[in-house]
Amino acid sequence: METKKEYKYIGKSITRKDSIEKVTGAAVFTHDLAVQGMLYGKTVKSPHAYARIKNVDISEAERVPGVRAIVTGKELPYKVGLYMIDKDILARDFVRYQGEPVAAVAADTELSADIACDKIKVDYEVLKPVLDPREAVKPDAPLVHPDLENYDYMKGVFLPLPKTNIPHLQKVRKGNIEEGFKEANVIVENTFYNPPVQHVCMETHVSIAQALPGNKVLIWSSAQSPYTLRNLFSVCFSIPHENIRVRVPYVGGGFGGKAGIHLEPLAYVLSKKAGGRPVKLCMTREEEFNTMPSRQGLYSEFKTGVAKNGKITALEVNYYWDAGAYADYGVNIGRAAAFAGAGPYEVPNCKIDSYIVYTNKVFGTAYRGFGHLEVLWGIERNMDIVARKIEMDPVEFRRKNVLMPGSITITGEKIEEHTGRVDKCLEAVVKEIGWKGYKSEEERKKELSTGKVRGKGIALLHKAPAMPTFTSSSAIIKFNENGSVDILTSITDYGQGTYTALAQAAAEILSIPIEKVNIPWDSDTSFTTYDWQTVASRGTFMGCNAVIAAAKDCLKQIKDIASQVLRCPPEELVCENEKIYVSHRPDNFLKYTDVVNGYTYPNGNSIGGPVIGRGKYIAQGLTNPDLHTGQGLPALDWTYGAHAVELEVDTETGEIEILKIASAFDVGNILNEGQIHSQIIGGVVQGLGSALIEEFKFDEKGKFLNPTFVDYKILTAKDIPKETSRHLVLTPQIDGPFGSRGVAEHPMISVPGAVGNALYDALGIDFFRFPLTSEWVYCGIKSGKKEYYD
Amino acid sequence: MIREFAYVKVSTLKEATDALQSGNAKPLAGGTDLLVDMRNGVSRPDLLVDIKGIEELKTFSMNKGNGIEIGANVTLNTIIEDKKLRELCPVITDSAMSIATYQLRNRATLVGNICNASPAADMAPALYILNALVVAAGVNGERTIPIGEFITGVKKTTLEKGEMVVRVKIPRIPAGKTCFLKKQRIRGHDLATVNMAGLADRESNTLKVCIGACGITPILLEGLDDLYRNIRDRENLAEEVAMIALGAVSPIDDVRASAEYRRGIVYAYTKRLIREITSPN
Amino acid sequence: MHEYKKSFSITVRVNGNEYKDRVPSHMTLLQFLKERLHFLGTKEGCSIGECGACTVIMDGKAVTSCLVLAVEADGSSIRTIEGEAKNGELTPLQKAFIEHGAVQCGFCTPGMIMSAQNLLDRNPHPSREDIVEAISGNLCRCTGYEQIIQAVQSVANGATKQNNLVGVKSVGGGGDTEGGQPGGKVSEHNSKSKTGGTL
Repeated sequence: METKKEYKYIGKSITRKDSIEKVTGAAVFTHDLAVQGMLYGKTVKSPHAYARIKNVDISEAERVPGVRAIVTGKELPYKVGLYMIDKDILARDFVRYQGEPVAAVAADTELSADIACDKIKVDYEVLKPVLDPREAVKPDAPLVHPDLENYDYMKGVFLPLPKTNIPHLQKVRKGNIEEGFKEANVIVENTFYNPPVQHVCMETHVSIAQALPGNKVLIWSSAQSPYTLRNLFSVCFSIPHENIRVRVPYVGGGFGGKAGIHLEPLAYVLSKKAGGRPVKLCMTREEEFNTMPSRQGLYSEFKTGVAKNGKITALEVNYYWDAGAYADYGVNIGRAAAFAGAGPYEVPNCKIDSYIVYTNKVFGTAYRGFGHLEVLWGIERNMDIVARKIEMDPVEFRRKNVLMPGSITITGEKIEEHTGRVDKCLEAVVKEIGWKGYKSEEERKKELSTGKVRGKGIALLHKAPAMPTFTSSSAIIKFNENGSVDILTSITDYGQGTYTALAQAAAEILSIPIEKVNIPWDSDTSFTTYDWQTVASRGTFMGCNAVIAAAKDCLKQIKDIASQVLRCPPEELVCENEKIYVSHRPDNFLKYTDVVNGYTYPNGNSIGGPVIGRGKYIAQGLTNPDLHTGQGLPALDWTYGAHAVELEVDTETGEIEILKIASAFDVGNILNEGQIHSQIIGGVVQGLGSALIEEFKFDEKGKFLNPTFVDYKILTAKDIPKETSRHLVLTPQIDGPFGSRGVAEHPMISVPGAVGNALYDALGIDFFRFPLTSEWVYCGIKSGKKEYYD
Repeated sequence: MIREFAYVKVSTLKEATDALQSGNAKPLAGGTDLLVDMRNGVSRPDLLVDIKGIEELKTFSMNKGNGIEIGANVTLNTIIEDKKLRELCPVITDSAMSIATYQLRNRATLVGNICNASPAADMAPALYILNALVVAAGVNGERTIPIGEFITGVKKTTLEKGEMVVRVKIPRIPAGKTCFLKKQRIRGHDLATVNMAGLADRESNTLKVCIGACGITPILLEGLDDLYRNIRDRENLAEEVAMIALGAVSPIDDVRASAEYRRGIVYAYTKRLIREITSPN
Repeated sequence: MHEYKKSFSITVRVNGNEYKDRVPSHMTLLQFLKERLHFLGTKEGCSIGECGACTVIMDGKAVTSCLVLAVEADGSSIRTIEGEAKNGELTPLQKAFIEHGAVQCGFCTPGMIMSAQNLLDRNPHPSREDIVEAISGNLCRCTGYEQIIQAVQSVANGATKQNNLVGVKSVGGGGDTEGGQPGGKVSEHNSKSKTGGTL
């Protein structure tokens, strides 16, 4: 029987397991790798957003010294994708976004490959692109994928609409929407927008692939998900899984952008054509912006019915996701976000249509928050605006509508006591920011005359992992001779700190020093155990559960051996501080080192053998929500949160300074206090990047105008808020490891909404799109309007 | 990627100007603009002439009588760290500090900044208001060009083939308040959306304002001196100069900002600039 | 016309050791360090000097090695991240990065440490503003910079082992629900960091 005790490692600020390697430069990333005989790959990219490829002439390129292979789309009859198998390895017949690779070269040096790429001549017939998802859904819009009905996809989960630009339309239906609007005293309609942006991992996408004899493949990649990568690769080329080995060294940031599959197929076909020499394909920063996937843009249209008492009676939303040229992974974003698409509120009557729409732009993919930052921008701005229409304080309005134990979500899930408490997160940030209601028009006018105005705003958030119901994790813990352990897992730690949490869990359960837990940083599908993907704030949750199970499996094996030596049933043994003893006789013990590689009696007889624990975890009870109503149970767990922002606006320039941001999350329990705070600050600052400055800009022809750090700015050390605060609500999650929930994505969700709401408080102007650049805010002020669209 | 080119490191000005006669040769000092252009394929010189070994280009001197001389090899951080310069002519220091990042300023030079001749060059407005002179050298010797004539258009200068800038001279240390303002999209390193420098010179009783990133070259406002001499109300002056500025600039819409926004910033910042340089303390 | 060369023999000292090699003119110092000398710690993030991941110290000055030609580095002395820890002993700054949680994915870390160390070498007691100025040319997408600033500040103040992000106020601990009992104890944790002040 386990007795409750103080945790030794859980909750503590254990420093990262990989810190020493990272501060000394010893951590080797895929960027840094070179393999014997390696060639360098480069691509030729389309200058047009939409065009028919008439001809690709490689004759001059072939003559460039050092060129070993050139491939074009024509010779690659493959499609690749996670949910929607719609992506070409190189564009075939059509290019669908500016920056799409059309041909690729492998050469002895990067320079030769680059020169050869310049000499490849592509003839295009330029077509009129479709760039706005609201245009693209119209019946007469040009089709980005005329063959959509022939594409393969994850059945039962998605439903492409043939002869449209809509690879999936997710509907959510709850209650009776007409009745709901009839019950309303006030009906409010608003439309919001946010543009595509990028993850901006400091390590750009990079892969090395080698085609080996016997239909085998060896891949090194800066990837989040070695197993899913391998699976998609296997499906794409019909190569058996066991023939494909994917190795993932240190990864320089992911944020969703390195989930799924990216450059590996192209590196492989180049290697194959070059006679099996390994080929490294590394994105330049421009290619990272222009060729690799982004976060999708979103238009959202809200119609909200609200009763005088402040209760929402009906909510109707249309989401138009700008999926870009391919819906590979991105098709699931509009689906998952739709299930959360009313925000953390109880809405009795709800109708959501979430259109995932192809356009001729760089394609979208998972990005920290998976659609939730985007939908919650509209939801949380909308909540403030609706509150004002019924002359209610926006915090009070939220209090009246937040999900509480007993509430039913829009997908029919009942919120329990232990689900998490968004109301507590709200109250925490309300208190921290000192919310006393909007300032009066008089106060605002007085401040405006000084040229600097201040405002406060609040926004809530929720998110559950968006993942298939069969998603699972596993881990092996193997003991070493000195009683230390190695944890083998294919969760990837690309900075979020998961491995340290896994080590803490193992040390805690096994009762060994944290220093004695090692996690080899490379994931390797030939050696580390299955994990679906490291995405969706599920890695620590599910991976830790698998490690806990593996650790318990170890303890069982240790006790089995020790029970023979100590002549006592295993259930009466206690494992503590690397020792095993009979519970009431702690002085009569064996050391772990006595048993973990088998116990040897004085006469030489040996029993047991190496202790190797096995653990696994699969989400239980999840269902695929109904394709037409969204009813079902898609959520492993909900993490709730809130942000409150205080800012100051320079009314002459529109410049915003974030004075303070207070954040609160119901994390269930804390696994690592230091890292949870680090994760939150990093996420908040990334969210501020979205809120304030980041956006892709395109011209009317669909050319991407700012694909460099010169004109796509991310926040620097000079741009961080003056003050931050973090508040953790602890409502333990029953099935979470040590009661915890994921909180990797959540810190950046709803940051834009809180900034937008604070901006209203400051200026008395409603903004409907972010980023809230100084220029945008300036234009809003100059417009003299109370509602600024453009 | 940077393509192949020939390279020579020279130690005298004569070697440099000789080498610059050949083909498409370019002088290389800090390289923070040139190497980026070469990497991006915007510039493909066949010869780089590394001038960092030329001692005389490290000239960095100042005194009340002779003004300031800044050689082509003087980096922005050298300029920023000079306490005497900060005292004598802080507008140079402040302009230099606004450029790029600490690491880049260890390589980048003031001369390079103006030779790159971006309309948004952050050193330019200060040099315009200080009547800076650009000294260029070629095989036929040196010539001196007023800064306003040196930059002729977007990325264009009056330098002739084979010529290079050896130093910039500020003939007279200003007697009066100066100020440099720069609007950028974030607080971290960025190109200027609008930049400007101003000088209210007590000795000559003149007022100078130059605005960058709002035309093909930096724009020196005209006709300010009379306004300044007849100043009654600082706020009025600020308003009047701001209106003159709006009449003088011709910003464009680009990826960094709209013309409308640039005009808004020109108006707001000109007023701030005038208030600052005409404030009594 | 004079014939000018396209490849050069260079001698560069890196972390105290001398290296001689022949390099093409177009090779950057970054490429030279990584591809020829196999100092893999220095990273490439943009190759146009905007991100600072390739920061090394050249003759005492922090530079972005992507915008220095290898041939320009001839005769110079370079410090890279590999030269910081001596005989396995981390520098106070490296230790502070670990203790303050200033590392996440780690890709910006080598460049960040070189920038920060260069600042401390120039100015052992920098203000917060000095620190921000010195590292703002190093982009980091993970940390939000605050822990990095605090790590540098702690070295400047001679105080390591202090993480200002945690434990300002904490009420109770988490409920143990690992075995799966419902409705565990609910409690709260708070922390703040003022970015304007000092430690």
